[in-house]
Order: sequence, then structure tokens, then C-alpha cells
Amino acid sequence: MTLRGMRRLEARRQMEESNFLLSKARSQNLNPPVDFRLLDYVTAYDDNLMCAICRCPFVDPVVLAECDHYFCRDCIRQSWGSTYSPSGPRGDCPQCRTPARLGTRSATSKILVNILDDLLVKCPKHEEGCPVSVKRGEVEDHMNIYCGYAYQECAGERCELPVRRKDADQGCLHFGVSCFDCHETMQKSTLENHWRSECAVRRVTCPRCNMHVLSKDLDSHNSETCEAVSIPCPGASIGCTSRSKRSQAQTHAKSCTFAKLAPVISSQKSRMDEQEAAQKLLSRKLEVLETGFGVMQGILYPKVSVEADDLAADESRIPFLDNSASERTLPPHHPRMFSGDSSGNALSPFDFPVPPTSRPSSAAPGVARRASPIGLPPSESAAALRQHDPIEAYNTNYDLASPGLPPPSTSGGPYVSPLHHLLSMHESLRDEMSRVNSALQELDGRHSMQTLNENLRTREEISYLGAQLAGLSRQVHWLTSTQLQRQSRSATPSAVAGSSSEMAGTSVEAAVNAVSTAATALRGAARMVSVGQGQSSSGSHGPMRRENSAEGRTKL
Amino acid sequence: MAGNKRLMKELAENQSTPPPGCKISLENDDDILLWNVTMTAPSDSIYAGGNFKILIKIPKEYPFKPPVLNFKTKVYHPNVTNDENGSMCLGMLRPDEWKPPNKISDVLKLVRTVLAAPQPDDAVEQGIADQYKNNRKEFEKVAKDWVNKYAK
Repeated sequence: MTLRGMRRLEARRQMEESNFLLSKARSQNLNPPVDFRLLDYVTAYDDNLMCAICRCPFVDPVVLAECDHYFCRDCIRQSWGSTYSPSGPRGDCPQCRTPARLGTRSATSKILVNILDDLLVKCPKHEEGCPVSVKRGEVEDHMNIYCGYAYQECAGERCELPVRRKDADQGCLHFGVSCFDCHETMQKSTLENHWRSECAVRRVTCPRCNMHVLSKDLDSHNSETCEAVSIPCPGASIGCTSRSKRSQAQTHAKSCTFAKLAPVISSQKSRMDEQEAAQKLLSRKLEVLETGFGVMQGILYPKVSVEADDLAADESRIPFLDNSASERTLPPHHPRMFSGDSSGNALSPFDFPVPPTSRPSSAAPGVARRASPIGLPPSESAAALRQHDPIEAYNTNYDLASPGLPPPSTSGGPYVSPLHHLLSMHESLRDEMSRVNSALQELDGRHSMQTLNENLRTREEISYLGAQLAGLSRQVHWLTSTQLQRQSRSATPSAVAGSSSEMAGTSVEAAVNAVSTAATALRGAARMVSVGQGQSSSGSHGPMRRENSAEGRTKL
Repeated sequence: MAGNKRLMKELAENQSTPPPGCKISLENDDDILLWNVTMTAPSDSIYAGGNFKILIKIPKEYPFKPPVLNFKTKVYHPNVTNDENGSMCLGMLRPDEWKPPNKISDVLKLVRTVLAAPQPDDAVEQGIADQYKNNRKEFEKVAKDWVNKYAK
């Protein structure tokens, strides 16, 4: 009986113990172990209680056997790293560099440990609402047993979610609810924390002005309405450097000149910017138009440059001004036209003095001033000038071509008048002619040289052939003479002589044939030579023609 | 974690009670490993009147590894490299000399001391160190020029 009772008691004790261990293990899973270095200490502690490495009150302090310096066990291990030695961890003291090793556990003085354990700390859950401050040595117990904000397993059946200890007796709270301020859906168990620190419409206190505002409005409160925030003066953009709290900003603005001027100046500035942009656009347009205009003018009214100096001076001018410059250099053959018309002509409202032209011969006497069609678009005036020009140009400027005057410019530029144009064309043609002449001469020389060489060879051949012919004819002569002698010597024995004379006749015939062929060959050669001579004679016509052209030039 | 906690603590301490002549802020608000220090040179040194920007790069392993100091303001000093890094070489910042108990404020105090009294025997710019030892007047002239040019 007693044995059975004892066994039962033993079994029950074992069961309770295992239950306790199990629950402890579970609660440790729900509540991570406390890191003493992250605690908020309520009691002030001085540097003597502080580990030199982590700058916190010692956690599990150890003392170095050689130098008596104290460190946290973790800190000294981390500092020494993985230097392993069989007699336990060793290394240099981080503080005094003495080679050291860890002392025995008993060497750490108990009084230090007691002092450390007596330090008051805030509960690790104080941010979630636990108001308790406990001794550091009791923090673990507080978390595991007492703290209402620590987690434990839900009491609800078949629910294994964590719940705060203080809510454990309310039954299972793991069902969905929605916050009636912000209508966010969450579980009942987290609602309290939500109200405490998450809900967007919870009331918070502005840290600066102590006003109660909604959490979501805090930012706008700070940037717009908080009285305690200091803001710059409204005239800051134009130089006022003062800052004042929002509550006093109005009074400052009333007295500040900058603040009064700021709106006016800023509106002026914006207007100025607008104007500048518009002006920029317009000037760009003007530029484009001017270039286009210059190009058009260049096409319609080529620049006049009679004297090299004027040309050089004019090149640097912009197209629009060039117009007047080119007019200035025009020979004044048109003043009559304008002096006649300008009085009634609205197209030429301006008269202005012009430097006297360099050609007194062509300047009309009595005209010191001449009208300039400034009001007239230059291209039109140029066209008008062109229409009136030609006859006058021939009349007034004809003497330009006479010797003694500087030769007209042949730079390929525009011309004063058709006469100038013709003259310059004539000149260029003359140049062209002389160039062609010289080329022709060169060709002639080469040609005659070639012919000469050819002729020489042919002549040699002819003389050779002639010599051969002479030899042949001598032979024939000799043959005929021997034949004649033989005939005269033996006229009677005709039978024999006939046959021999026949033979001699055929040989003579052959010789004559040969001679005649040689003669035809010689004739052919002679024809060739005569053709070559004909060619050379045709080549000799060149100089004559050249002379003709030279004559023509002098005539021109 | 321990290092980070310590660093936050040090930063808070340094900002509430900064070491003499120093102003400390973070380079980026979300990076606690980059500190920005504006140091005013001691008034009795040749760098008087100069404000020097120093960037402190703190390794992740701090306090077990030393921080790295860079002068962002050019300074003519034998212990500061004359390049765009402006690396400063202090005895206590060398990896083998560094001790975990050293605090950043200690480092800054030492920097200020070295600014006032250069250590030509521990120099990184040998040319400047030689000039400091042999031609003090010229050294002081150039140093003052640089202060006026860069550190005002």
C-alpha cells in the first residue's frame, strides 16, 4: 500500500516536473532570452561597473589572472578570437596588453556580481506598456513568471498562438476584429498594441508644443501649424536671415522690410524671367531671319568690289550693313534717277552724304550728295538699279576700258556693269587662248620630232633598196651583154645557140621580173615617205594658224 | 550587436558632451558607421582658426578593430597624407596598437593633440616631417597658407 502510494507520488512528481520544464521551454520560445546589454538601466552606474569593451555594466564578469582587469565573458572571448590553447583561453589584456589568461570562476568577487544584480532596470517590455522596474538579477524571473506583457500560450482549445500573460484569462483572443478608429482588420489580441503604437488616428502629443494631435497629422502639424517650430522670415529669399517661432512669425513679418518687399520683388522677378524668355525667343528668330535675308541678298544683289581695299574692308561686315557699303562703291551712274525722283518718292526718305568716289571721270558734276534708298529693301533697289542701268552704264563707263585705268577685277566677283563683265570675259578668253596656244605649240614640237625620226628610218631603207636595185640592174646588164656577145660570136650554130639563148632569155626574163618587183616595192616605200611628208607638212600648218590667232588677239 | 549598442551610446555621449573643439554628426542618418567631425584647431597651434572636416569610418567589428580617419580638408601636416584621402596615421589607430577599450572621443582628443604638436618621427609625409624638423619657419608659413586656403 505504502509502496504503491510512494510510486504514485513519484510518478506525479515526475509528471509535474516534465510539465514545468515543457512550459518553461515553451515560454522561452515565446519570449527570447533577455540581453542585458540592451536593457535600460534605471540606476545610474559609474565607469567602474562598466566593461571597457562593450561599455555596459558587466555581464557575467571575469577577471584576468595576471592584471586583475575585469571584462564581460563574451567581450573577452570576442576580443581574443579563436586563439585556442589547452589550458584555457588566453591572450593579451585588451586594456594593458599584458599576456593573460582567464582566472578561475571563483576569482570573480561575489560583491561585484551582487552590485551588478542589484542595478534597477526597466522591464524589456516597457515599450509595450509594462511599467515595472526590476533588479537586473530578477529580470529573467520577471519575464518568465510575472510580466503581464510577456507572451505565453493561448488558453483556447486547439489554439497555439501566443497571447500576453495578462490577457490569458480572457479566453482565446485570436479572432478578427477591426479597429473602430481606422477600420484596419486585425486580431483581438493585437488590438491593444495597435491602439498604443500603430493606429493612424490615435492621439499623440507633439513633442514641441505639447498639443494633442492625431498620429497621421503629426508631419503636417510640424511643417504647418506647430507653434513651437521655428520658421524662416517670409523675406528670406531676398536677404532676411532671421528665424522665429511660428507663433512670433507674424509680429516679425510686420516689422520686417524684407518680408513686405518679398512678394513685390518675387512677382517682378517672375515677370522679368518671362520677358527674358520672350526676348530670347525673339532674338533667336531675328537671327534666323537675318541669316536668311543675308543669303537672299547675296543671291539677288552681289557685292560690288572695285578696289581691293574696299573688298577687304567689306568682308567683315554683316550682310545688312553690307548693302549700304556696296552701294557706296557703286559707280554713281544712278544719281540722276534718284535726284529726279527722290523728292516725291516715298521709297527714299533719307539723304546722306557719301565720301567722294574715286573716279572723278565718271562722277557727274554738281552731284556731291546722292540719295540712298535706305527705306527701300535692298533687293528691290538692286533690281530697280538693274532695270535702269544698262544703257547708262555703257554711256558713262565706257572709258573704263581704255588703257591707263586699273584693269578690271577678274576675281570672279560681281561686276559693275555689262561692259565690265564683257571686258573681263574677254580677258579670261584671251588667257584661255594663250594657254591653248602654248599647248598646241608643245604638241607640234613633239609631232615633228616623231615624224623626223620615222622619215630617217624610211630614208635609210630606201637608200638600201636603191643600192640593191643598182646591183641587180648591173647583174642584168652583165647577163644581157654576155648573151649578146655569145649570139654575135656564134650566129651559125643556131641549134645549140638557140637552146642556150632560150635559156639565157628565161634567166633574163626572171631578172627583169625581179627588178620590176623591186621597183614596185621601192614605189610603195616612196609613197609611204610621201605620206609621212604630207603629215609633217600638215603639222607645219600649226604655226601659221597660231600666227593667225595671235593676229586676231592683237586685233581684239 | 554589442558593438552597435556601444557605438550608439558613444554617439549619444559625443553629441551631448562633445570632446573639446569637435562637432560630431552622422554622414547619413541611417548609417551609424560613418561619422562626420568638424574639428576646430587649438588656438595656440599654427593651425589656429582652421576648421577641419574629418570623416571617421568605423568598421563593423568595432570596438575590436580601429576606426579609420580621413581629413576631408587639406592640411599641411607630417602625420596626414597629402592626397585626396587625407589619411591620418596615429599610433593608436594601427591594428596592432588598437585596444578595444579606446573610445572615439579618445581618438579625437589625440587627433587634436597631434594637430597642435606634430610627431615628425611617426610621419607619413616624410618631406613635410623633414621640413618640420629642419626648417620650422618655412613649414609654419606653408601650413598657415593652407589653413587660409582650405580650412577657412
